[in-house]
Amino acid sequence: MKLKVCGMKYQDNIESIAALKPDYLGFIFYEKTPRHFDTKIPDISDNIKKTGVFVNAEIGTIVEKVNEFKLDAVQLHGEESPYFCSILRSTSLLSRPIEIIKVFSVKEGFNFEVLEPYENVCDYYLFDTKGKLPGGNGYTFDWSLLNDYPSTKPFFLSGGIGIDQIEAIKTFQKSDASKYCYAIDVNSKFETEPGLKNSSILREFINKLHNKKTMNYNVDDKGYYGEFGGAFIPEMLYPNVEELRQNYLKVMAEPEFQKEFDKLLKDYVGRPSPLYFAKRLSEKYNTKIYLKREDLNHTGAHKINNTIGQILMAKRLGKTRIIAETGAGQHGVATATVCALMGMECIVYMGEIDIARQAPNVARMKMLGAKVVPALSGSRTLKDATNEAIRDWINNPVNTHYIIGSAIGPHPYPDMVTRFQAVISEEIKWQLREQEGRENPDYVVACIGGGSNAAGTYYHYLHEPDVGIIAVEAAGLGIDSGESAATSVLGKEGIIHGCKTLLMQTKDGQITEPYSISAGLDYPGVGPMHAHLSKTGRAEFLSITDSDAMEAGLELSKLEGIIPAIETSHAFAIFKHKTFKPDDVVVMSLSGRGDKDLQNYIDYFKI
Amino acid sequence: MNRINQKLQEDKKLLSIYFTAGYPEINDTVSIIQDLEKNGVDMIEIGLPFSDPLADGPTIQDSSTAALKNGMTTEVLFKQLEGIREMVSIPLIIMGYFNPMFQYGVEAFCKKCQELGIDGLIIPDLPVDVYHEKYQAIFEKYGLINVFLITPQTSDERIRYIDSISNGFIYMVSSASTTGAKSGFGEEQTAYFERIGNMNLNNPQVIGFGISNNETFTQATKYAKGAIIGSAFVKHVTKHGVDSIDTFTNSILNA
Ligand SMILES: Cc1ncc(COP(=O)(O)O)c(C=O)c1O
Repeated sequence: MKLKVCGMKYQDNIESIAALKPDYLGFIFYEKTPRHFDTKIPDISDNIKKTGVFVNAEIGTIVEKVNEFKLDAVQLHGEESPYFCSILRSTSLLSRPIEIIKVFSVKEGFNFEVLEPYENVCDYYLFDTKGKLPGGNGYTFDWSLLNDYPSTKPFFLSGGIGIDQIEAIKTFQKSDASKYCYAIDVNSKFETEPGLKNSSILREFINKLHNKKTMNYNVDDKGYYGEFGGAFIPEMLYPNVEELRQNYLKVMAEPEFQKEFDKLLKDYVGRPSPLYFAKRLSEKYNTKIYLKREDLNHTGAHKINNTIGQILMAKRLGKTRIIAETGAGQHGVATATVCALMGMECIVYMGEIDIARQAPNVARMKMLGAKVVPALSGSRTLKDATNEAIRDWINNPVNTHYIIGSAIGPHPYPDMVTRFQAVISEEIKWQLREQEGRENPDYVVACIGGGSNAAGTYYHYLHEPDVGIIAVEAAGLGIDSGESAATSVLGKEGIIHGCKTLLMQTKDGQITEPYSISAGLDYPGVGPMHAHLSKTGRAEFLSITDSDAMEAGLELSKLEGIIPAIETSHAFAIFKHKTFKPDDVVVMSLSGRGDKDLQNYIDYFKI
Repeated sequence: MNRINQKLQEDKKLLSIYFTAGYPEINDTVSIIQDLEKNGVDMIEIGLPFSDPLADGPTIQDSSTAALKNGMTTEVLFKQLEGIREMVSIPLIIMGYFNPMFQYGVEAFCKKCQELGIDGLIIPDLPVDVYHEKYQAIFEKYGLINVFLITPQTSDERIRYIDSISNGFIYMVSSASTTGAKSGFGEEQTAYFERIGNMNLNNPQVIGFGISNNETFTQATKYAKGAIIGSAFVKHVTKHGVDSIDTFTNSILNA
């Protein structure tokens, strides 16, 4: 049975629902409903039929919308006559062929004879619940009435269908009444608010409908990825985190927010970042390697995608003061940059040791007007900087927003950061289609500190089983050396910085100090999404030592003229350890440029 | 009846003291507990040190780091507390972060607490809903009282919810802060104390964070059943060692 999801409204949401591969997506062109569609339809798969829903509209209006939005189907929800349908079907003004779906509202005593005149002028019927409104009444009708269905025309079953009806649908599917049922149409029962669909519930519905036990790699409604995630925070932080949780999806779905976000990504960050075919590197390793050039973003890494998103979020929530943690200083610089852009106060916590080893970034932050506060506790690195930032937030609960720099922290942070970074894989899809004629590569590869560039690179491929996911962690001096940051190997389930995930710890549950030559991968935990990807085997985790990473960085410089950040270099070292097929397409997240690491490269190679 | 509930029924204002187990020296735990009881303290929070204590300020963070360096672990603390009930009858609460308990095994941890005569737990980063959903039954099975925090930012609705799940007292964090951050109470705080007092909650409230001397203790207990002192006590033992606990308690109770 096919599935139609109706009442789509917001671009991001359309994309995430389209990723679930429904057969039809419905857009309602009727101003009296809150689901009235008045924006653009993003680029979605041609396999999804775009359906315009109309209520007693003029032929001219329908034709105009079909041509403008490239609709594949038209659903007529008013009192359109058979004659109207026949005109619409035969008009030469349409730029493309359409399916016509005529809607009838059903209740007890419905007279199926009214269908007869429509038999030859439409393609499908749609049976909806008879209620006050033309559709969207939110409850089902008695489906056994369809036992009297006199036609052989396939129909859509609609009206108040939600996940609670799964069993009823299955019973219906086994009954005679469903003989000509072609599709199920869902709408309001899957909404967080009118027009905004909840993709995780819909996914669950689809899986249940198809008896599929496919894994969900996105966050669920409670903030978990499988068993990982959640919000393990002291009560002092609850109001802040809860405010964010209640608002983040709503705010991100606002057309105004999206417009501002997209515009800044384009004009300020310089997106889309190129997807570059690395010819010489490909030749050397005898496979097809593409580089997603996040290093070309303003401030030199992917981090700014997230800070732009979060500062706009902070503004929407009325915050005036921004805090952040930073390891390598990339996230600190990206945060200081957007604070300068928006004229907001900025305080960046940074481990005392990192301040010493990333001096240029400290200077940049200061130039941008941020205050850099050294974290003096513990190991005086990223973990401790994060602790200090959280303490600051506890002490300043009302006016402050904490911009976390990776896909870590309490829910909703990992999901919010992932969504802001998802622009990376969104672009890879169309860029790869342009260059390779297909959206899906064979592999996507990214290095993982907390996991934000990785989450963004994987996001639109998580549920594409033909795309292999490779995650690269820092092995430091070697997995067994005691000086490592390879969390997926050395970590155990536990709680760090407000979420349940894999983390490096003693038997007694004390968090241990990681080590990596790269400050950005020097974190004892990993984002909960990646813990889930590791545990379920969806992603392959590799760990790369300091020396392999440094060599790979040098190699990329010499072969392609691109000096990567040392974090990024880790990802490129996989070619020494893993062989790909000659026609494999491997997309690498080139998360950042190496300017900040020049001194490290100089010292290491004695340049 | 649980020793905490019994204590809460007494017709007096309660003084509760927090100390970090394993600090200043690894084996100070038992003697600190005995001295606190002897000097008129009503309840004790034994701090199980954690590497990353998010809700704590520098004093308790530093004492925790030192305690871990001294070799304090969950196992060591439990070993030290064996037989403690033959020495003291004061209510004992373990205060710690969730990860060490999670690694020990929540049920095993609770069971051990019951065996040792621990009366309750304070776990700042175990949220109410997770506790309610996953762990409440276990805590209750082993007769442990779990104590939740509220802050000036906590909504009335949520306070009522927390009150409904609590079975001992509610830990009122005096201001939006980590431990040891502020000293002295202003109008904002007293207004908040009054607001909570007027809610007529089922569970009595004990105020903590920012209580450091007789003045703040008296102020806080005007509005609440008791008050908790943490950082100020840890500072005292840092400066004067563990042999002069009586000077500290006297300065609070008999000023
Ligand atoms: C260039 C670059 N890549 C990767 C990372 C690691 O962070 P994440 O795993 O969140 O992408 C960092 C962090 O500082 C970075 O600067």
